[in-house]
Amino acid sequence: METFDALLAGFGVALQPINLMWGLIGVTLGTAVGVLPGVGPALTVAMLLPLTVKLEPTGALIMFAGIYYGAMFGGSTTTILLNTPGESASIATALEGNKMAKNGRAGPALSTSAIGSFVAGSIATVLLTLLAPFVVSVALKFGPAEYFALMVFAFTTVAAVLGASTVRGLTSLFLGLLLGLVGIDSQSGTPRFAFGVPELLDGVDVVVLAVGLFAVGEALYVASYQSRLTGTLEKLSGSIMMSASDWKRSWPAWLRGTAIGFPFGSIPAGGAEIPTFVSYATEKKLSKHPEEFGHGAIEGVAGPEAANNASATGAMVPLLTLGIPTSATAAILLGAFQNYGIQPGPLLFQSQAELVWGLIASLYIGNVILLILNLPLIGIWVKVLQIPRDLLYGGILVFATLGAYSLHQSWVDLLMLYVFGLLGFAMRRWGVPVGPAVIGLILGPLAETQFRRALSISQGDAGVFFTQPISATFLAITAAVVIVPWIVRRWRKRRPAEYQAQRGRHADVSKR
Amino acid sequence: MKVSPAQTALSLGVLALGVATAVTTASLSGEGGYAQIGPNFMPAVVAFGLIACGLWLLYEAMSGGWRDHPSDDPAARGDHAFHAPGFLWITAALGAHMALIGTAGFVVAGSVLFAGVARGFGSVRWLRDVAAGALISLAVFFFFVRLLNVNLPAGWLSPVLGGAGI
Repeated sequence: METFDALLAGFGVALQPINLMWGLIGVTLGTAVGVLPGVGPALTVAMLLPLTVKLEPTGALIMFAGIYYGAMFGGSTTTILLNTPGESASIATALEGNKMAKNGRAGPALSTSAIGSFVAGSIATVLLTLLAPFVVSVALKFGPAEYFALMVFAFTTVAAVLGASTVRGLTSLFLGLLLGLVGIDSQSGTPRFAFGVPELLDGVDVVVLAVGLFAVGEALYVASYQSRLTGTLEKLSGSIMMSASDWKRSWPAWLRGTAIGFPFGSIPAGGAEIPTFVSYATEKKLSKHPEEFGHGAIEGVAGPEAANNASATGAMVPLLTLGIPTSATAAILLGAFQNYGIQPGPLLFQSQAELVWGLIASLYIGNVILLILNLPLIGIWVKVLQIPRDLLYGGILVFATLGAYSLHQSWVDLLMLYVFGLLGFAMRRWGVPVGPAVIGLILGPLAETQFRRALSISQGDAGVFFTQPISATFLAITAAVVIVPWIVRRWRKRRPAEYQAQRGRHADVSKR
Repeated sequence: MKVSPAQTALSLGVLALGVATAVTTASLSGEGGYAQIGPNFMPAVVAFGLIACGLWLLYEAMSGGWRDHPSDDPAARGDHAFHAPGFLWITAALGAHMALIGTAGFVVAGSVLFAGVARGFGSVRWLRDVAAGALISLAVFFFFVRLLNVNLPAGWLSPVLGGAGI
């Protein structure tokens, strides 16, 4: 009941005309920028961050949540029509959605993606509403040791477990942690890694890192390796309406996608990539038309799109209740909170209840606006896709440099932007994930603070992390997620003969 | 077994960064009060991590190459061969922008940046690109300076723009 009252008060905030306007601007801008090929949600949020410097916090954060959601919706349009997934979480959608568009079924593909995102986003927001107060009540009992253990868990899953290569994920994480050390140490006031450069004393801004890695890095990569390829934009011909059979095949996929996506987003083991692939595999297995997969099966769009959006909303749970970002986009949103001197976490629900619940209420409203914005107005977004690539990247880089330059009015920030661009180029070329670096930059200083606080309380006794039951549990789970897959791999390698024979038998059975 | 020079160089780069971090850390204070660890503790952890990752990457590079990494054959990645002018034009455009923005102002630097990037993507209509860049930079300039009160330099155009950036 308390939750319901709080949510109602939140709607009171979100429905104020001025906040409604910021929400509307946010989802519109988010969709418009998110639609641009090569611009994913993380870059959209980072590029538009400078827009909010002069806004009051509630309006700014409502606008940001809108940008985040809008970018997710816009990205699916690009994926389906252009087959250029702006982020790894859209790859599953590209598999079937683009095939549907090639078969002249772009309309239903866009519809099932937009309605599925709406359904998943709305259900996930209800789950967020119900889950958040519970997590807050648990998190209020957490001390510095528990937070530190939780952050170690988040670092480990994001960097070491989820990507293609453990060592490259960890390298990216440590680069982010190193950048997070730059500037004045919050505990002692000692400048670190600033080398007397005034621009570095403030620390490395998350906007400069994210825009450098994503926008400048992407521009360098595409100009070097893809500028002479031509993409084919599928035409949006015929009706966008879904047939009765489309509906019948879509809705179970939406619900299953939501059920798969939300938990993945809400445990600090983020990344929307895995749930979208799990959803894709599930739909393929359960479909009555498995032969259509790979040739444009509508379930293969409906499920992963729902999973993607549910996981994006799920990521708001650890972000708002614990202050822990589980994806690069969530890390940039946390940076936006920090710009206002707001630290998300359980205390925020008490000290700034209006802001938090207003933000959650705005997610409900944003979903409705996005559905209206995306389906009837789809023609406008298709026009955005027709902007030639040379002009598009020119515009993106003008915006990218604006964000960096407006920090200190200094060319030093522009130089950092370019250096991070080179880094992003190299990371893309040699398969080093960029997400862990962005998360490390934002979460590293918070983890260090909690670590030193915990040790201050225990008078320097490091045993505190292992003797407190909650902290010890988190560390044990962390160890398990690293060690168990490693042992499984080892075990498989040791018995190649039996393992191969086993696989061979399975293959024989399936052939019959 | 062929060893990739790029992977070796990148691995050594990570290793060198780790060593440089360790050297810088050595000059930081270890004074930590009650916690008994100071501002040098976390940097030491990061230095250790980078050195360990650098050695691990180097080991992988020397023993058959980095595991599961994108193909070195551009066609297998869906790309074309490395096109150096694309890379260099964007680098030059960003360099010119850095040099110009303080004196020439946001709009002039933005137009040059826009045209240079468009050139990097293969455009040869530089007049159209400069015009489009000027239009976008002007719109952004007025929006940020007038509506959001963000400080941007007007530079050479301050007589025309009315010193709006100050």
